Amino acid sequence: MRAYQDMVFSTAARLAGNDTQAEDIAQEVFIRAYEHFSDLRGSVTAGGWLKTVTTNLTLNYLSRYRKRWRLFSEMRSTSEDSDTDGPELDWEVPDTILADLSAEQRSAIVEAALKQLPDHQRLPLVLYHFEELSYQEIADRLNVSLTKIKTDIRRARAALLPLLQDCGGARDTLDG
Amino acid sequence: MNNTESEQKLEQVLHQALKGLPPRRAPRTLESRVLESLAQRASLHWWRVSFANWPVGARVAFVLICAALVAATILGGVSAYLGDRSLNEAAALVLGWVHPLLAVMSSAGGLVSLLVRVIPPVWLYGALGLGVLLYVTLFGLGAAAYRTLYLQSSSAGDGL
Repeated sequence: MRAYQDMVFSTAARLAGNDTQAEDIAQEVFIRAYEHFSDLRGSVTAGGWLKTVTTNLTLNYLSRYRKRWRLFSEMRSTSEDSDTDGPELDWEVPDTILADLSAEQRSAIVEAALKQLPDHQRLPLVLYHFEELSYQEIADRLNVSLTKIKTDIRRARAALLPLLQDCGGARDTLDG
Repeated sequence: MNNTESEQKLEQVLHQALKGLPPRRAPRTLESRVLESLAQRASLHWWRVSFANWPVGARVAFVLICAALVAATILGGVSAYLGDRSLNEAAALVLGWVHPLLAVMSSAGGLVSLLVRVIPPVWLYGALGLGVLLYVTLFGLGAAAYRTLYLQSSSAGDGL
Protein backbone atom coordinates (compact mmCIF):
# COMPACT_ATOMS: atom_id res chain seq x y z
CA MET A 1 0.00 0.00 0.00
CA ARG A 2 2.82 2.38 0.87
CA ALA A 3 4.28 2.00 -2.62
CA TYR A 4 1.09 3.18 -4.27
CA GLN A 5 -0.68 5.45 -1.80
CA ASP A 6 0.84 8.67 -3.16
CA MET A 7 -0.09 7.78 -6.73
CA VAL A 8 -3.64 6.84 -5.76
CA PHE A 9 -4.15 9.93 -3.63
CA SER A 10 -2.67 12.23 -6.29
CA THR A 11 -4.88 10.84 -9.01
CA ALA A 12 -8.01 11.24 -6.90
CA ALA A 13 -7.03 14.69 -5.62
CA ARG A 14 -6.25 16.09 -9.04
CA LEU A 15 -9.50 14.81 -10.48
CA ALA A 16 -11.72 15.69 -7.53
CA GLY A 17 -10.01 18.96 -6.67
CA ASN A 18 -10.70 18.26 -3.00
CA ASP A 19 -8.31 16.55 -0.58
CA THR A 20 -10.97 15.26 1.80
CA GLN A 21 -12.88 13.57 -1.00
CA ALA A 22 -9.62 12.26 -2.43
CA GLU A 23 -8.76 10.60 0.89
CA ASP A 24 -12.19 8.95 1.04
CA ILE A 25 -11.76 7.70 -2.51
CA ALA A 26 -8.22 6.46 -1.85
CA GLN A 27 -9.48 4.56 1.19
CA GLU A 28 -12.15 2.87 -0.92
CA VAL A 29 -9.58 2.01 -3.61
CA PHE A 30 -7.32 0.24 -1.12
CA ILE A 31 -10.23 -1.65 0.41
CA ARG A 32 -11.13 -2.91 -3.07
CA ALA A 33 -7.48 -3.77 -3.65
CA TYR A 34 -7.55 -5.79 -0.43
CA GLU A 35 -10.60 -7.69 -1.71
CA HIS A 36 -8.62 -8.53 -4.90
CA PHE A 37 -5.38 -9.10 -3.04
CA SER A 38 -4.92 -12.64 -4.34
CA ASP A 39 -5.04 -11.36 -7.96
CA LEU A 40 -2.88 -8.32 -7.36
CA ARG A 41 -0.18 -9.84 -5.17
CA GLY A 42 3.03 -9.85 -7.17
CA SER A 43 1.26 -8.66 -10.30
CA VAL A 44 3.19 -6.19 -12.47
CA THR A 45 -0.10 -4.56 -13.45
CA ALA A 46 -1.09 -3.71 -9.87
CA GLY A 47 -0.19 -0.05 -10.37
CA GLY A 48 -2.26 0.20 -13.53
CA TRP A 49 -5.16 -1.58 -11.85
CA LEU A 50 -5.05 0.84 -8.92
CA LYS A 51 -4.87 3.87 -11.22
CA THR A 52 -7.82 2.67 -13.31
CA VAL A 53 -9.92 1.91 -10.23
CA THR A 54 -9.02 5.29 -8.73
CA THR A 55 -10.02 7.14 -11.89
CA ASN A 56 -13.27 5.22 -12.22
CA LEU A 57 -14.19 5.63 -8.55
CA THR A 58 -13.45 9.35 -8.64
CA LEU A 59 -15.53 9.90 -11.75
CA ASN A 60 -18.36 7.85 -10.23
CA TYR A 61 -18.07 9.79 -7.00
CA LEU A 62 -18.18 13.13 -8.77
CA SER A 63 -21.07 12.19 -11.02
CA ARG A 64 -23.03 10.73 -8.09
CA TYR A 65 -22.56 13.57 -5.64
CA ARG A 66 -22.44 16.50 -8.00
CA LYS A 67 -25.04 15.59 -10.61
CA ARG A 68 -27.74 17.08 -8.43
CA TRP A 69 -25.88 20.39 -8.36
CA ARG A 70 -24.83 20.50 -11.98
CA LEU A 71 -27.92 22.39 -13.07
CA PHE A 72 -27.18 25.16 -10.60
CA SER A 73 -23.40 25.25 -10.84
CA GLU A 74 -23.32 25.27 -14.63
CA MET A 75 -26.36 27.47 -15.09
CA ARG A 76 -24.14 30.32 -16.14
CA SER A 77 -21.58 28.30 -18.00
CA THR A 78 -24.19 26.60 -20.22
CA SER A 79 -24.86 29.84 -22.05
CA GLU A 80 -21.15 30.60 -22.17
CA ASP A 81 -20.46 27.22 -23.71
CA SER A 82 -22.78 27.86 -26.62
CA ASP A 83 -19.98 29.34 -28.71
CA THR A 84 -17.59 26.62 -29.74
CA ASP A 85 -14.71 28.82 -30.88
CA GLY A 86 -13.52 29.55 -27.37
CA PRO A 87 -11.82 32.67 -26.08
CA GLU A 88 -8.98 34.37 -27.87
CA LEU A 89 -5.61 34.14 -26.14
CA ASP A 90 -4.87 37.80 -25.65
CA TRP A 91 -1.43 37.37 -24.07
CA GLU A 92 1.89 35.99 -25.12
CA VAL A 93 2.40 32.31 -24.28
CA PRO A 94 5.77 31.87 -22.56
CA ASP A 95 8.23 29.26 -23.74
CA THR A 96 8.26 27.56 -20.34
CA ILE A 97 6.21 27.74 -17.16
CA LEU A 98 7.62 27.39 -13.65
CA ALA A 99 10.73 25.86 -15.18
CA ASP A 100 13.06 27.43 -12.61
CA LEU A 101 11.26 25.81 -9.67
CA SER A 102 11.88 22.51 -7.97
CA ALA A 103 9.47 19.67 -8.71
CA GLU A 104 7.88 20.00 -5.25
CA GLN A 105 7.31 23.74 -5.67
CA ARG A 106 5.85 23.25 -9.14
CA SER A 107 3.64 20.49 -7.85
CA ALA A 108 2.25 22.64 -5.03
CA ILE A 109 1.52 25.53 -7.37
CA VAL A 110 -0.10 23.36 -10.04
CA GLU A 111 -2.26 21.49 -7.51
CA ALA A 112 -3.46 24.75 -6.00
CA ALA A 113 -4.21 26.22 -9.43
CA LEU A 114 -6.09 23.09 -10.51
CA LYS A 115 -8.38 23.44 -7.50
CA GLN A 116 -9.44 26.83 -8.75
CA LEU A 117 -10.79 25.45 -12.00
CA PRO A 118 -14.45 24.41 -12.17
CA ASP A 119 -15.12 20.67 -12.37
CA HIS A 120 -16.14 20.71 -16.02
CA GLN A 121 -12.76 22.21 -16.97
CA ARG A 122 -10.48 20.48 -14.43
CA LEU A 123 -11.72 16.93 -15.11
CA PRO A 124 -11.01 16.83 -18.87
CA LEU A 125 -7.77 18.77 -18.41
CA VAL A 126 -6.45 16.30 -15.83
CA LEU A 127 -7.59 13.30 -17.89
CA TYR A 128 -5.83 14.74 -20.94
CA HIS A 129 -2.56 15.96 -19.46
CA PHE A 130 -2.05 13.62 -16.49
CA GLU A 131 -3.87 10.44 -17.50
CA GLU A 132 -3.04 10.98 -21.19
CA LEU A 133 -6.46 10.01 -22.51
CA SER A 134 -7.47 11.22 -25.97
CA TYR A 135 -10.22 13.79 -26.49
CA GLN A 136 -12.56 11.05 -27.70
CA GLU A 137 -11.82 8.80 -24.71
CA ILE A 138 -12.50 11.69 -22.34
CA ALA A 139 -15.75 12.51 -24.11
CA ASP A 140 -16.82 8.87 -23.79
CA ARG A 141 -15.82 8.67 -20.13
CA LEU A 142 -17.57 11.88 -19.16
CA ASN A 143 -20.52 11.27 -21.47
CA VAL A 144 -20.36 14.67 -23.12
CA SER A 145 -19.78 15.75 -26.70
CA LEU A 146 -16.32 15.84 -28.25
CA THR A 147 -16.78 19.53 -29.10
CA LYS A 148 -17.52 20.42 -25.49
CA ILE A 149 -14.50 18.48 -24.26
CA LYS A 150 -12.21 20.34 -26.65
CA THR A 151 -13.74 23.66 -25.66
CA ASP A 152 -13.49 22.90 -21.93
CA ILE A 153 -9.87 21.80 -22.18
CA ARG A 154 -8.95 24.87 -24.23
CA ARG A 155 -10.61 27.14 -21.70
CA ALA A 156 -9.05 25.26 -18.80
CA ARG A 157 -5.60 25.84 -20.30
CA ALA A 158 -6.38 29.50 -20.88
CA ALA A 159 -7.56 29.80 -17.25
CA LEU A 160 -4.65 27.83 -15.85
CA LEU A 161 -1.87 29.81 -17.51
CA PRO A 162 -2.45 33.12 -15.65
CA LEU A 163 -2.98 31.19 -12.40
CA LEU A 164 0.39 29.51 -12.77
CA GLN A 165 2.07 32.73 -13.81
CA ASP A 166 0.53 34.60 -10.86
CA CYS A 167 1.72 31.92 -8.47
CA GLY A 168 5.17 32.01 -10.02
CA GLY A 169 5.21 35.78 -9.64
CA ALA A 170 4.05 35.60 -6.04
CA ARG A 171 6.79 33.08 -5.33
CA ASP A 172 9.37 35.38 -6.95
CA THR A 173 8.13 38.22 -4.75
CA LEU A 174 8.39 36.06 -1.65
CA ASP A 175 11.82 34.82 -2.64
CA GLY A 176 13.00 38.36 -3.37
CA MET B 1 1.47 34.29 -33.91
CA ASN B 2 -2.21 33.52 -34.61
CA ASN B 3 -4.66 32.05 -32.11
CA THR B 4 -4.29 28.44 -33.25
CA GLU B 5 -0.53 28.58 -32.98
CA SER B 6 -0.79 30.17 -29.54
CA GLU B 7 -3.12 27.42 -28.39
CA GLN B 8 -0.81 24.73 -29.70
CA LYS B 9 2.11 26.34 -27.94
CA LEU B 10 0.08 26.67 -24.74
CA GLU B 11 -0.83 22.97 -24.92
CA GLN B 12 2.82 21.98 -25.30
CA VAL B 13 4.05 24.31 -22.57
CA LEU B 14 1.39 23.18 -20.11
CA HIS B 15 1.86 19.54 -20.95
CA GLN B 16 5.57 19.94 -20.24
CA ALA B 17 4.84 21.66 -16.93
CA LEU B 18 2.18 19.16 -15.80
CA LYS B 19 3.56 15.88 -17.05
CA GLY B 20 6.73 15.71 -15.01
CA LEU B 21 5.10 16.50 -11.69
CA PRO B 22 5.78 14.10 -8.83
CA PRO B 23 2.75 12.55 -7.10
CA ARG B 24 1.44 14.35 -4.07
CA ARG B 25 2.18 12.85 -0.71
CA ALA B 26 -0.83 11.01 0.69
CA PRO B 27 -2.03 12.12 4.13
CA ARG B 28 -0.50 10.23 7.02
CA THR B 29 -3.97 9.29 8.17
CA LEU B 30 -4.75 7.34 5.00
CA GLU B 31 -2.95 4.14 5.91
CA SER B 32 -4.41 4.03 9.42
CA ARG B 33 -7.89 4.75 8.03
CA VAL B 34 -7.63 1.87 5.57
CA LEU B 35 -6.30 -0.56 8.18
CA GLU B 36 -8.97 0.51 10.64
CA SER B 37 -11.69 0.04 8.06
CA LEU B 38 -10.36 -3.41 7.11
CA ALA B 39 -10.17 -4.43 10.76
CA GLN B 40 -13.71 -3.25 11.30
CA ARG B 41 -14.89 -5.29 8.33
CA ALA B 42 -12.98 -8.35 9.50
CA SER B 43 -14.61 -8.15 12.92
CA LEU B 44 -18.12 -8.31 11.46
CA HIS B 45 -20.03 -11.60 11.70
CA TRP B 46 -20.40 -13.40 8.39
CA TRP B 47 -24.10 -12.64 8.12
CA ARG B 48 -23.43 -8.90 8.35
CA VAL B 49 -21.16 -8.74 5.32
CA SER B 50 -22.38 -8.79 1.73
CA PHE B 51 -23.98 -11.99 0.44
CA ALA B 52 -21.06 -12.59 -1.97
CA ASN B 53 -18.73 -12.99 1.01
CA TRP B 54 -20.87 -15.50 2.92
CA PRO B 55 -19.53 -19.06 3.31
CA VAL B 56 -20.57 -21.28 0.38
CA GLY B 57 -22.65 -23.57 2.62
CA ALA B 58 -24.55 -20.62 4.07
CA ARG B 59 -25.20 -19.20 0.60
CA VAL B 60 -26.53 -22.52 -0.73
CA ALA B 61 -28.70 -23.04 2.35
CA PHE B 62 -30.05 -19.50 2.09
CA VAL B 63 -30.99 -19.92 -1.58
CA LEU B 64 -32.62 -23.31 -0.93
CA ILE B 65 -34.61 -22.01 2.04
CA CYS B 66 -35.77 -18.97 0.08
CA ALA B 67 -36.81 -21.12 -2.89
CA ALA B 68 -38.69 -23.48 -0.58
CA LEU B 69 -40.47 -20.59 1.10
CA VAL B 70 -41.48 -19.05 -2.21
CA ALA B 71 -42.72 -22.40 -3.50
CA ALA B 72 -44.63 -23.09 -0.28
CA THR B 73 -46.22 -19.64 -0.36
CA ILE B 74 -47.32 -19.98 -3.98
CA LEU B 75 -48.61 -23.53 -3.57
CA GLY B 76 -50.31 -22.74 -0.27
CA GLY B 77 -51.93 -19.62 -1.68
CA VAL B 78 -53.16 -21.34 -4.80
CA SER B 79 -54.56 -24.38 -2.97
CA ALA B 80 -56.25 -22.20 -0.33
CA TYR B 81 -57.75 -20.04 -3.03
CA LEU B 82 -58.95 -22.84 -5.25
CA GLY B 83 -60.13 -25.23 -2.54
CA ASP B 84 -62.39 -27.68 -4.30
CA ARG B 85 -63.48 -25.17 -6.96
CA SER B 86 -62.87 -25.71 -10.66
CA LEU B 87 -60.41 -23.54 -12.60
CA ASN B 88 -63.28 -21.64 -14.32
CA GLU B 89 -64.78 -20.69 -10.97
CA ALA B 90 -61.42 -19.48 -9.75
CA ALA B 91 -60.96 -17.33 -12.87
CA ALA B 92 -64.41 -15.87 -12.41
CA LEU B 93 -63.56 -14.99 -8.81
CA VAL B 94 -60.38 -13.22 -9.91
CA LEU B 95 -62.17 -11.28 -12.64
CA GLY B 96 -64.88 -10.41 -10.14
CA TRP B 97 -62.51 -7.85 -8.65
CA VAL B 98 -62.01 -6.12 -11.96
CA HIS B 99 -65.58 -4.77 -12.27
CA PRO B 100 -65.66 -2.86 -8.96
CA LEU B 101 -62.20 -1.46 -9.70
CA LEU B 102 -63.34 -0.15 -13.08
CA ALA B 103 -66.43 1.32 -11.42
CA VAL B 104 -64.32 3.17 -8.84
CA MET B 105 -62.00 4.55 -11.53
CA SER B 106 -64.95 5.65 -13.63
CA SER B 107 -66.52 7.42 -10.62
CA ALA B 108 -63.26 9.20 -9.88
CA GLY B 109 -63.01 10.35 -13.49
CA GLY B 110 -66.62 11.59 -13.36
CA LEU B 111 -65.90 13.48 -10.14
CA VAL B 112 -62.89 15.22 -11.71
CA SER B 113 -64.79 16.23 -14.83
CA LEU B 114 -67.67 17.49 -12.64
CA LEU B 115 -65.24 19.61 -10.60
CA VAL B 116 -63.70 21.03 -13.76
CA ARG B 117 -67.16 22.02 -15.00
CA VAL B 118 -68.32 23.48 -11.69
CA ILE B 119 -65.16 25.44 -10.73
CA PRO B 120 -64.79 28.69 -12.72
CA PRO B 121 -61.92 28.53 -15.25
CA VAL B 122 -60.32 31.62 -13.70
CA TRP B 123 -59.81 29.71 -10.44
CA LEU B 124 -58.25 26.80 -12.28
CA TYR B 125 -55.86 29.06 -14.17
CA GLY B 126 -55.09 30.88 -10.92
CA ALA B 127 -54.29 27.61 -9.13
CA LEU B 128 -52.13 26.51 -12.05
CA GLY B 129 -50.30 29.85 -12.03
CA LEU B 130 -49.81 29.66 -8.27
CA GLY B 131 -48.33 26.19 -8.61
CA VAL B 132 -45.88 27.38 -11.29
CA LEU B 133 -44.98 30.45 -9.19
CA LEU B 134 -44.28 28.31 -6.12
CA TYR B 135 -42.16 25.93 -8.18
CA VAL B 136 -40.10 28.77 -9.66
CA THR B 137 -39.72 30.38 -6.22
CA LEU B 138 -38.48 27.16 -4.63
CA PHE B 139 -36.14 26.55 -7.57
CA GLY B 140 -34.73 30.08 -7.24
CA LEU B 141 -34.32 29.71 -3.49
CA GLY B 142 -32.49 26.40 -4.00
CA ALA B 143 -30.16 27.94 -6.60
CA ALA B 144 -29.47 30.98 -4.39
CA ALA B 145 -28.85 28.79 -1.34
CA TYR B 146 -26.49 26.57 -3.31
CA ARG B 147 -24.51 29.49 -4.72
CA THR B 148 -24.39 31.24 -1.35
CA LEU B 149 -23.72 28.34 0.99
CA TYR B 150 -22.14 25.53 -1.00
CA LEU B 151 -20.08 27.27 -3.68
CA GLN B 152 -18.68 29.94 -1.39
CA SER B 153 -17.72 27.48 1.34
CA SER B 154 -16.06 25.07 -1.13
CA SER B 155 -14.16 27.84 -2.92
CA ALA B 156 -13.01 29.25 0.43
CA GLY B 157 -11.77 25.82 1.43
CA ASP B 158 -10.01 25.15 -1.85
CA GLY B 159 -8.45 28.56 -2.37
CA LEU B 160 -4.79 29.07 -3.08
